[in-house]
Amino acid sequence: MTRRVLVMFAVLAAIAVGLGFYALHLKRKVARDEQLAAEQQRALAPLSNGPPTTVTLYIASDSDGTLRRTQVNVTLPPERTERDRAVLRALFEQYLPSSSPHPIGAGADVRDVYLLGDDTAVVDTNAAFADAHPSGVLAEELTVASIVVTLNANDSKIGRVKILVNGQERETLAGHADLRRFYEASNIGQVVKDMQ
Amino acid sequence: MPLSGRRSRLAWAITAGSALLFAALLTRQTGVHAQSPGQNQLTVYSPRTSYSVPLLEVNGQPYAGLVELLEPLGSVDARIDGKKYKLHFTPPGGRPLEVQFTGGKDKGKVRGNGYKLPANFILQNGRGYLPLSVTSDLVSKLLATDTEFHAAARRLFIGNIQLRYTLELHKDNPSRLLLGFSSPVNPSIATEPGRVRLTFRREPIVSTGPENVPYSDPLISGASFSEHDGLAELDVTGTAPMMANFADGGRTIIITGAPAAAPVTQEAPAPLPPAPANPQNPSPQPRQPAAPRFLVLIDPAHGGSDIGAAITPSLPEKDVVLALARRVQHELANRGIAAGLLRNSDVAITLDQRATWTNAARPALYIALHAANTGQGVHVFTAMLPAANLSPQGFLPWDTAQAAFLDLSGSVAGSVAAELESRKLPNATLLAPLRPMNNIAAPAIAVEIAPPAGNVDEIASAAYQEQVAQSIAAGVAAVRAKLPEVRP
Ligand SMILES: [Zn+2]
Repeated sequence: MTRRVLVMFAVLAAIAVGLGFYALHLKRKVARDEQLAAEQQRALAPLSNGPPTTVTLYIASDSDGTLRRTQVNVTLPPERTERDRAVLRALFEQYLPSSSPHPIGAGADVRDVYLLGDDTAVVDTNAAFADAHPSGVLAEELTVASIVVTLNANDSKIGRVKILVNGQERETLAGHADLRRFYEASNIGQVVKDMQ
Repeated sequence: MPLSGRRSRLAWAITAGSALLFAALLTRQTGVHAQSPGQNQLTVYSPRTSYSVPLLEVNGQPYAGLVELLEPLGSVDARIDGKKYKLHFTPPGGRPLEVQFTGGKDKGKVRGNGYKLPANFILQNGRGYLPLSVTSDLVSKLLATDTEFHAAARRLFIGNIQLRYTLELHKDNPSRLLLGFSSPVNPSIATEPGRVRLTFRREPIVSTGPENVPYSDPLISGASFSEHDGLAELDVTGTAPMMANFADGGRTIIITGAPAAAPVTQEAPAPLPPAPANPQNPSPQPRQPAAPRFLVLIDPAHGGSDIGAAITPSLPEKDVVLALARRVQHELANRGIAAGLLRNSDVAITLDQRATWTNAARPALYIALHAANTGQGVHVFTAMLPAANLSPQGFLPWDTAQAAFLDLSGSVAGSVAAELESRKLPNATLLAPLRPMNNIAAPAIAVEIAPPAGNVDEIASAAYQEQVAQSIAAGVAAVRAKLPEVRP
């Protein structure tokens, strides 16, 4: 190889190393920004000023296939559907750590809750809720049941619940639990009793 | 600063372009290309487990990752210090053995002795790779056991675990070819007119006789064995559509003619066993209304691209439930109950298709099989139906077709749970909103198995699956008298 080629190689190598560092820097910055945005979104949406309210959560446990009744304090917004959403977010909060008794996959969130009439809630979850949910008959049933029973426990007028994913109807949650139907709180309540 | 902005963008474009060029040049120089998975892999069969090791192509030579090769065989502790690669391998119940190589050199040390490689050792991304051709010898030295390496087929056998097969042609009408194995097998089966291909990924199947066996038979014209890309294949050719059935707990596979009415295709459900009346008489006489019969339809859930739950990274639910389904079929047959499988190979079937085909087959009982890696033991489910919108009579509404059969479904679930209990398997019966149970117009249960006690791999163990299969079959047999036979 001539001297010229060697020099060119050296220059290009130096550029490649520099570019690598820059890419690393960019990647970290993007990750930081995304995390910040997520934190801001979390902080903005459900919280409002006011005293914390005690809400009842039915928390699923994979090891024995049961739902356990727990109470936590959450600051609830005044509007009814916003309140329902905040309750469900408090429930998801319990499931998000991988050490949870019923982990449901990173990034799961409730985008919106709206009402059809007075007694039917439509829960719109994000794509991560379904895409990252562990697959299994019991695992998926526990998630659905805990959503329906928790909603009903904190907003007793809600008798029927329908779960959407990213604003759309899905056939199943993760291959098993039917998401095309409306769930009756009374029906699920019986199953929860069977589980306990 | 619009000008400097534009300038810096230009500068980045130039540097990025040259860096890409440089990177391309570098890769060309060393010739390192990762291969797509499945295409290029080594399958290792050991007495404990079967696994695959992805191969790397370096300068036209296949290389295997040392950690990937050894980890399933014992515990591995690898360290890199500059170009020096040091690995401690501890076989089960043994003492740590040292392996040393140097990146870019062909000399190393194994258990303190000099070891020459046929090509240089490769260090890449913090991993060590050695030429594929020496994997067999290295494993043999570390485990102090015999190994056999089929280099062209990329299959490595550790210990004397090769599984041989026998071929036996029975010239009945139609003819049957019996493939016999010394222990149970679970190949994937692909059928097309005039051909059945069995692909063995995990079983150490080898050929002892001639690899091509021709037959002078009106139906079966030959069987051939081949091995390549880390798997073995048995290919049976014939003159008409054929099907494969499992018998003897997976130790025998029977290849025979497919019933003309139910041509076997990749997409269609596996053919059901013939009705007990006149199974050997295929004459096309005008049909009498068939007699009612007792048929159980087993639905191994998922399949194809729908793998179900990933029980472990290498063990999809779809494979676990297919193996279990074959066991249940066998255990039912032992109790004189005919059973068919909705799928007998790795094919995708939609939930609606499963229900449609099941209802068309008019079984006396439908059993869906699932497996999960959460929880423990066995769950037996019956359908949790959506709010009923019952039509007056006659046609059953699709979404609640199961409603009329819930009592019978509950009896079967209770009976299966009692059998699980008597075998001391942790169990529970529950309602579940599981599709397509609500669409099934017959008594229906679903069984989901989880690992027996924490150890996830146990879910695929023959002993555990056999216990579950026996419980299901015994549970069905115990309530058979309650379940109406159905006219096909
Ligand atoms: Zn499943």
